[in-house]
Amino acid sequence: MPRPDDLDLLQGTLDLLVLKTLSWGPAHGYSVARWITQLTDDVLTVGEGSLYPALHRLEERGLLTSEWRRSENNRKAKFYRLTARGRAQLHAENASWERFARAMGQVLRASEQPR
Amino acid sequence: MSWRRIRHVVQPSPRAEARAEIAFHLEERRRELIASGVDPADARARAAAEFGPIEPVERAIADSTHRRHDRRQRTERFMNLTQDLHFGLRALRRNPVFAAAAIATLALGIGATLAVFNVVNGVLLRPLPYRHPERISMIWLSLRNDDGTQADLPLTSGFFSDIERDARTFESMAAFRAWPYALADGPSAEPERVAGARVTPALFRVLGAEPLLGRTFTPDEGRPGGPSVALISHDLWMRRFGGDKGVVGRTVYLSGAPFTVAGVMRQGFSFPRGAELPAPFGFGVRTDIWTPLVFDSTDRINYGTNNLSAVGRLPSACGEPAHCASVAQAELTGMLRTFLAANAPRLKLDYRLVSMADQASAAVRRPLLILLGAVAFLLLIAAANVAGLMVARAHARQRELAVRTALGAGRWRVTRQLITENLVLCALGTVAGLAIAYWGTTFMLRLVPGSLPRADDVALDWRVWGVASALALLFAVLFGVAASYTAAWRGTELAGTLHTGDARSAGGVGHRNMRRLLVAGEVGLSLVLLIGAALLVRSFVQLQRVRPGFDARGALVANVSIPVTRFQPAVDGPGWAATFQQVMARLAAAPGVAAAGATSGLPMTGMFEAGGVRPVGRTYDPGQAPSAQYSVVAGDYFTAAGIRLVTGRLFDASDAADGGNRSTIIVNRRFAREQYGSETAAIGQEVSPTFELNPGRPPRTIVGVVDDVRNVSLDAEPRPQVYLPVAQYPYPRMAVVVRVKGGPGADPRGAAPLIRDAVREANRSATVHDIRTMEDVVSESLARQRFSMTLIGIFAGVALVLAMVGLYGVLALIASQRRREIGVRLALGASPGDVVRMMLREGATVAAVGVAGGLLGALAVTRVLQSVLYGVSSTDTPTFAAATLFVVAVALAATWLPARRVARVDPRSALAAE
Repeated sequence: MPRPDDLDLLQGTLDLLVLKTLSWGPAHGYSVARWITQLTDDVLTVGEGSLYPALHRLEERGLLTSEWRRSENNRKAKFYRLTARGRAQLHAENASWERFARAMGQVLRASEQPR
Repeated sequence: MSWRRIRHVVQPSPRAEARAEIAFHLEERRRELIASGVDPADARARAAAEFGPIEPVERAIADSTHRRHDRRQRTERFMNLTQDLHFGLRALRRNPVFAAAAIATLALGIGATLAVFNVVNGVLLRPLPYRHPERISMIWLSLRNDDGTQADLPLTSGFFSDIERDARTFESMAAFRAWPYALADGPSAEPERVAGARVTPALFRVLGAEPLLGRTFTPDEGRPGGPSVALISHDLWMRRFGGDKGVVGRTVYLSGAPFTVAGVMRQGFSFPRGAELPAPFGFGVRTDIWTPLVFDSTDRINYGTNNLSAVGRLPSACGEPAHCASVAQAELTGMLRTFLAANAPRLKLDYRLVSMADQASAAVRRPLLILLGAVAFLLLIAAANVAGLMVARAHARQRELAVRTALGAGRWRVTRQLITENLVLCALGTVAGLAIAYWGTTFMLRLVPGSLPRADDVALDWRVWGVASALALLFAVLFGVAASYTAAWRGTELAGTLHTGDARSAGGVGHRNMRRLLVAGEVGLSLVLLIGAALLVRSFVQLQRVRPGFDARGALVANVSIPVTRFQPAVDGPGWAATFQQVMARLAAAPGVAAAGATSGLPMTGMFEAGGVRPVGRTYDPGQAPSAQYSVVAGDYFTAAGIRLVTGRLFDASDAADGGNRSTIIVNRRFAREQYGSETAAIGQEVSPTFELNPGRPPRTIVGVVDDVRNVSLDAEPRPQVYLPVAQYPYPRMAVVVRVKGGPGADPRGAAPLIRDAVREANRSATVHDIRTMEDVVSESLARQRFSMTLIGIFAGVALVLAMVGLYGVLALIASQRRREIGVRLALGASPGDVVRMMLREGATVAAVGVAGGLLGALAVTRVLQSVLYGVSSTDTPTFAAATLFVVAVALAATWLPARRVARVDPRSALAAE
């Protein structure tokens, strides 16, 4: 994986989180934000300022679709859903992330400098 | 599909949507906070604070939504468009005849119009390729003859020197004359003839022409004794010097004398281009080499030899070019009046200023505009035909469209598809039209090689593209409207169509009449064109029947030029005369030659000169002597050219005796009659030409009278003419005429090598060029008339074909519409003959209306042709009658076919149809 700069890393990881969150089923933006926070035990908080642009970006790319529906408490909300392309992208990004994490781990766990 | 539309209508704007989404988030957070015990009053504020600035987020996601919508719309539209195109092409393929007819008609109309406009644009509309050409004016002398006619004369060096020195209303002024040169690389190398001009150095300033390499002439080079420099044209530079930048400074030999090349002119500059010279096109349509025109002291007081063209630039300070020109005219007229008052008070001479644009194109303006009018007719006919085709097709598709609508196609969708179909047709037709326009322009220019002024200026520019776009747009709109019209029908006739099962009767009458009217109009317009073409053909035939005074058959002509850098007949004259006499002697002795001669003024080539010829014993003021065209002849010119001797004798050896000191002259019948009352009375009389090379020469005796010759053109009356023998009046440039044995039918071209050999033996440095038959010369002089006749004839032919196709179409349509009715009639006992007669009556009515309209139109319109017709009036009855009969006959033939087909209809099948 090429070495992205910080902003891209932020965007890319956020996109991946969102895709994963929606892989369990359609949800509105608020739910996505809450789940990410919950699942990471409050380690990661998604700034709302970046979440909604992320959702719309993913929709522009055709990885998500949206529609206005009634929420749990019967209020109109915009629900997002993974498309087939989104699902494929999720798998691909997931695999990339795993490789990245493993490689990082290897470097960080190294006990001595390589020859 | 309609659900989506409702959603589109009801859906909020992206901005509102964004706001709602964020509002939902904030509301949820607020609830969550309240649920976890936060004070309701604070919860809202905390939720907002946690979110952060709302505005940028709102904007970001609204933009994202916008982009998404746009992209979706674009994709949709593109998909629809490709689908429409696909259907459109398929529909056209299902109806190839219709498509082909529509495209061909459109292409012909657009192509012909564009081709003609392209030429008109180049010759009449585009500004001349000089700086501020509207300020440049040609300066001519204008002489009013006693018989009231007026002739434009070139200037004399005396007059030019005067006005160049004194005129204040011109910013700059220059004089020039054509001077063909024999260009060679060395003093004895084989020369190549190039069209040249001698010009005063100011010419380039007058025209605003900058050189590409080197420089133009300095004022010093225009003074006597100045250096011999030359400028070459871009064409010549590329052609002969290979574009070599080192050509400046090189020495070339012009007619045997060395000249230094001082510069190369830019591409496209080749002034004078024929029209600006006193004998238009006698000297070719472009100039390739320029040398300085130098006046010495004798030139400055020579008021008798009219051989200079002059051009001047009006200053920009004096305002409108027209106003400026009239001020300049007034000044020149005043100067001349002062001069004449002192020297020749009874001479009715004046200056005449002609703007450059008029000079360049006046001669062909009328014919070209007539051509434009004719092609406009063709365009109208083509448009009417296409409209008719569209209407017929629309009608035929009623059924299909009704069914489509019933199956749920949106009305806008159907309309849009029809428009696309029609636009495809329009596009194909326009593209084909452009191809025809290109080919048509080439064809037109090739019809008149060398006779069309400014042919070099014909090129695609913004005006041509503008007209092309306008035409394409016009037809596109026409087609689009036709499409909507078609689609609109559907709505009103839907129910009726499907119920009665007769898609063709409801509303048929209205548009049937419109089609009839369209076709009648087409017939009328094509009749007008046909009459115009017929008149031109008759005029051309009349011209060809004119007896020119000489016999063009069986004679070969070649221009022979002895290179001359300074016209010094006193010094070089005997040499020139000897050359031509030798050439004549050799040719006369050659096998197969019946007679050989030469002349300095070959008829129909503009090579003649004019001057005063004063009968001795009568007094005339200077410049008031009777004017005559004069030429120098050698050998048996009159016999070779077939010019009849009326009385007296032709030139013979006695005229060459005494070293050329005899003084004899031959005149034509008009001169003899005008001056002496009859031909025989002229013999033995003495005259004094004002253009004698040697002013001290004794008067000349008239020894013979020959027939009048049409020197200028076939349609101009012959003027008084006189001839001098070359031994007494040497000239370096003559046209050799050789008549071959074998009578008028013999092919004279075999004599070409004889001429070349004879000239080479007599004078190595002389050049022989422009070898052609005398018949070619006459034919070339008719080039312009042939041009008009050919083109309008073509337009008339195409128009007639289109009109007849239209007529056939409308009658076939009527026949198919009335099938049922005809079936009923036949079943009730009508004979096939009756049915045919009924159809014929239909066709005849339409044709009759068209012909009537066409005749009226022709009577009004053909008077425009009068100025280009010869020997035929523009309302010539036999021509009108013949053309009308022809159109009626063709119309009846076009009616006959559908009539016959209808008559063979089986009554039972006609009734059972539908």
